[in-house]
Amino acid sequence: MDLLEYQAKELFREVGIPVLPSQRIDRPTDLKALRIPYPIVLKSQVSVGNRGRAGGIRFVENTIDAIAAARTIFNLPILGEYPQVLLAEAKYNTSQEFYLAIVIDRLACRPVLLGSTDGGMNINAILNQIQQVVVYEEFSSFYARRLALKMGLHGDLMLAVSEIIEKMYALMRAQDLDLVEINPLGIDRNGAVMALDGKISVNHYAVGRHPNLKPWQVVDVARNRLGTLSPLFTNIGNISILCSGNGLALAMLDGIAQGGGQVAQCIVVDPACREDIQIALDRISTNSRRERSPSTPDVDVLLVNFVGSEIDSCQQVMQYFPRYSNLTTIWRVLEHDRDRLAGLLPLSIKLVTNFDRAISQTLVIAKQ
Amino acid sequence: MTIDLQLDSRVLIQGVDNPLALAAIGRMQTYGTKIVGIVSAGQGGGTLGDLPMFDLVEEAQLMLGPIETSLIFVSAYQVLDAALEAIAAGIPQIIIITRGLPPLDMIRLLRQASISKTLILGSGSAGIIIPDRLLLGIYQPQLFSPGKVAIISRNQSLTAEIASELNQANLGQSIVIHIGSDPLVGSSCRLWLEWLQSDPFTESIVLVGDICWDSEAATAAYLLAQQGKPVVAYLAGIHASTPHPLTDAAIVLSHTLSKPIHNADTIQQRIETYKRAKIPVAKKIGQIPSLLKKLGSKG
Repeated sequence: MDLLEYQAKELFREVGIPVLPSQRIDRPTDLKALRIPYPIVLKSQVSVGNRGRAGGIRFVENTIDAIAAARTIFNLPILGEYPQVLLAEAKYNTSQEFYLAIVIDRLACRPVLLGSTDGGMNINAILNQIQQVVVYEEFSSFYARRLALKMGLHGDLMLAVSEIIEKMYALMRAQDLDLVEINPLGIDRNGAVMALDGKISVNHYAVGRHPNLKPWQVVDVARNRLGTLSPLFTNIGNISILCSGNGLALAMLDGIAQGGGQVAQCIVVDPACREDIQIALDRISTNSRRERSPSTPDVDVLLVNFVGSEIDSCQQVMQYFPRYSNLTTIWRVLEHDRDRLAGLLPLSIKLVTNFDRAISQTLVIAKQ
Repeated sequence: MTIDLQLDSRVLIQGVDNPLALAAIGRMQTYGTKIVGIVSAGQGGGTLGDLPMFDLVEEAQLMLGPIETSLIFVSAYQVLDAALEAIAAGIPQIIIITRGLPPLDMIRLLRQASISKTLILGSGSAGIIIPDRLLLGIYQPQLFSPGKVAIISRNQSLTAEIASELNQANLGQSIVIHIGSDPLVGSSCRLWLEWLQSDPFTESIVLVGDICWDSEAATAAYLLAQQGKPVVAYLAGIHASTPHPLTDAAIVLSHTLSKPIHNADTIQQRIETYKRAKIPVAKKIGQIPSLLKKLGSKG
């Protein structure tokens, strides 16, 4: 779960990481009650990067300009996402900008502190200067100082930056974060530090034990339930995939792609949950030819694979299929399931006992 | 840390509050796994079938004697506590079946496990099966048949698919190890590859899925191949994965740590690392048996 900038900054403020005075703007007229002195910067609160280049960040000097700019930003999608909220923030003059982050390294299974004295929008510049410190044992302040020194800092600035890193670590631990990033960390002429932009990702497994984060959760219920991989695909495909695991899904997508087929959607379900299967099939069938509309794909064939799943999936699932008899279904099953099910199923469901054969039969139907 | 897969290994179950655990206990007992007891806080003194239940691991051990392996089924937020309890009681092998462990819990657990030299399999592991001999976990035994091919996997559903493919080609399995589907896992692919070097029942190895792959794992795989135990990999997502727009330094960085930092870690690059280690990558699941047979006949 990625937090928006204003949410990240609220958490920064709670742990004592300095942030600029700011105010949340829900509609352009909120700017009439602005409590921060001009000039200010207005920032689109979307979860994607590159807001600045897309026009989602604007500097304004007075209320009239601010309201006009806010209207523009509210109506400006960034990579398809419209902001629900803007952040109005005081302007800050920096003499230097740093990059700081803490992430979890999957291979080492340890948190890693990252820092670069070249912060900002240019990723290659950040990477050129990037330094890392792996936190092998229980965290202690010296890890933060080690990073700041590796970044080439010294004296008061070294201490100020390592104190920020310590606070970032405390935040990470307290809120179960996958990522906490400050970019840029502004340094003014007096050496004071300020988190000018920030990014926080909360681990999605851990969200449930942090009730304070609950109000910020954006829940797409259907998507969460089904773990659909649909957003990966173009809507020119005519094949739907329903299966019981992400790895299985990727393997089937590879097979379809290798054979020159196009996938309309791929939905991963828990075969033990009847309700999920129902939701998935409803979604697939609304894309099938009977209810075609110009914008949705025509699904010709459904490829099902629940091999290896916990329950006796075939028996339980098959009762849902007759309703969708307009759809040809290729169902990859193990041999003993085929022997038991053969004869019980409508003709539109074909049982196939080999993975690659199931893919190739799907492709044959899709290309007819 | 040693790996002990004796057939008469004594097994403890931690957590029986979900149907998955109950089903798995039944299957394991039928298979001959020596489950000696169950720890479930609040249910101490009771029984489940013929198995005694305890409130604490140390109580179970006091009553039952030494335990070699604990299988953890408790809910995700209780796993850290359950595993630390098993470590404190001196159980040398822990298999975490539960999925979705918060990464910072796993990090804490692994720090402790490295001090106590405890073997951790998982989290999100389906466990280990040696077909016809030993079942530790939630795999359905009928998916596998005995033979000489070892499978090390990151992905439960794909493992079943690949075992089925091997069975159809008359290639049974010497052992199937699911190292876990969670982002962070305890015992690594490298550790199991090294263990397979001295496993007399294994003649070749299939690596399945997004194995945490580093230079040490590559070295271990290379050594196995040198010994005449060929290694074949299958990676899912070669065509399906969409390149994530690399606008975000953190996304780039989080994939590239532990190695000299470079700009991206795509599946194509991972295929390259297999190629450098001279490990063939199967293009299709159906290609795995023929690759194994080809390499096997060479050795």
